[in-house]
Amino acid sequence: MRPVTAAHIEVRAVGKQWRTRDHPVPALESVSLDIAPQEFLTVLGPSGCGKSTLLSIIGGLTPADQGEVRIAGRPVIGPDPRQMAMVFQDPGLFPWRTALENVEFGLELQGVPGPIRRERARALLEPVGLRGFERRYPRELSGGMKQRVAIARALALDAPILLMDEPFGALDEQTRLLMGEWLLGIWARTQKTVVFVTHSLQEAILLSQRIVVMTARPGRIKASFAVDLPAPRDLDTAPAATLRRALWDAIRDESRRALDGGA
Amino acid sequence: MRRVVLGRVLLLAGLLGLWELWARHGDPLLYVPPSRVVPALARLLRLEAYPTLPAHVGLTAFEVLVAYALVVALGLSLGFALGLPRHVGAIYEPILAACYAIPSVVWYPSLMLFFGLGPASKIAFGVLLGFFPVVLAVLAGLRAVEPHLLTVSRALGAKPAACFVKVVLPAITATLVAGLRAGLALTVVGVLVGEILGARRGLGYLINYTYGFFRTADYAALALLALVLVLLVDGIAAWTESRARRWTEGAA
Repeated sequence: MRPVTAAHIEVRAVGKQWRTRDHPVPALESVSLDIAPQEFLTVLGPSGCGKSTLLSIIGGLTPADQGEVRIAGRPVIGPDPRQMAMVFQDPGLFPWRTALENVEFGLELQGVPGPIRRERARALLEPVGLRGFERRYPRELSGGMKQRVAIARALALDAPILLMDEPFGALDEQTRLLMGEWLLGIWARTQKTVVFVTHSLQEAILLSQRIVVMTARPGRIKASFAVDLPAPRDLDTAPAATLRRALWDAIRDESRRALDGGA
Repeated sequence: MRRVVLGRVLLLAGLLGLWELWARHGDPLLYVPPSRVVPALARLLRLEAYPTLPAHVGLTAFEVLVAYALVVALGLSLGFALGLPRHVGAIYEPILAACYAIPSVVWYPSLMLFFGLGPASKIAFGVLLGFFPVVLAVLAGLRAVEPHLLTVSRALGAKPAACFVKVVLPAITATLVAGLRAGLALTVVGVLVGEILGARRGLGYLINYTYGFFRTADYAALALLALVLVLLVDGIAAWTESRARRWTEGAA
């Protein structure tokens, strides 16, 4: 994997309403964010706060109702695989394709010839510990393996920006921690910009350079925390505990509101 | 497994024995025991009973082939035309379901009026019967495509055409092939029933003819022949279906 030049992401006063039968439900309200090239930013918020919607808008999958997102100065009008790759909580592997063929998908769309495609896909599966699993089908893989294939499939696009929507949310605790370490390794090697959505305080502290906390619906940016902890990070140190405390203070009321709101 | 096979053989032997016993005590004109069907079948296959048998079978096969080609073409295009655009389901689905619920045989007289006594009306009836399972399979398949897979492929840069070819088609293959198999079986039924109800040539005509002249043994032999042919066709279709299912679900 070669380092790529990342681009500045600007989120400007983005708003979104979901249309229901009787009245529009506000999902996001005036969200503004600046994400620096090669930054690892985590968006933390209670469930239903619109953090996934925000990521989907940044990725160009969902149009914003108000405001706009710009990448390298150009407004986002749709998915742009040359700029960004997305990973979701559900790996969404194509069951009729082997692990290798899944990784090849994006390259196939770009018209990369077969042999080159396969070679690049194989080179991506190896560092994720899936050597020897190239010809397995998704249903023969464990949850963690599937998600690694999905991440390899996104990395195959070689885009400077990686958008991740609770990518490890469906995995067990241990796998989750290991996958986090593994992701940090990739981030360090490839110098990508990572926007990571999660509701886990622990994950946010272990991974990010900066954490923004969102409010309950409608989602707004409530607070932003720079994380200056040395790597490898340890949750049991005093600074980590202090940060955790601060994050929890910021998010507690929102989580409660989300609960009361029936989210 | 062995027990199942043994059980099946015993069941079959028992049924044949019962048939033999029953038929021997009935009117020989109406009841034909298996022991008389076997020689009749032998005479039939040696082309002694009906020298033109190959031509009849050939015509039926031709009608099935043409009807099935039409079933596939019409069924797939209508299925996709109805299933791909969202929000139109509410318009046509009740109508489609109502059409499917009408016993198709009631249309046959009008088909004979439109298309005459020749092969055309048999083909039309085969199409009428085989068409619905294919359309319904396309619709069911499209409904079952996981939206998330489409989101993922969009995020990976797939335009609508690529989404269709690389995601929708593979995702619906198993359902589609199952529908095509059911459609084939019903097309065969349609053609045969059409021939039985009114024709001058074809396997169905021959069956009707032998039955009309009380050649009961020949009739039973022809029915057996039809059974074997249908089983053969369906066997191929079943094999294709299981391959398609394994492929869609991703099995090694």
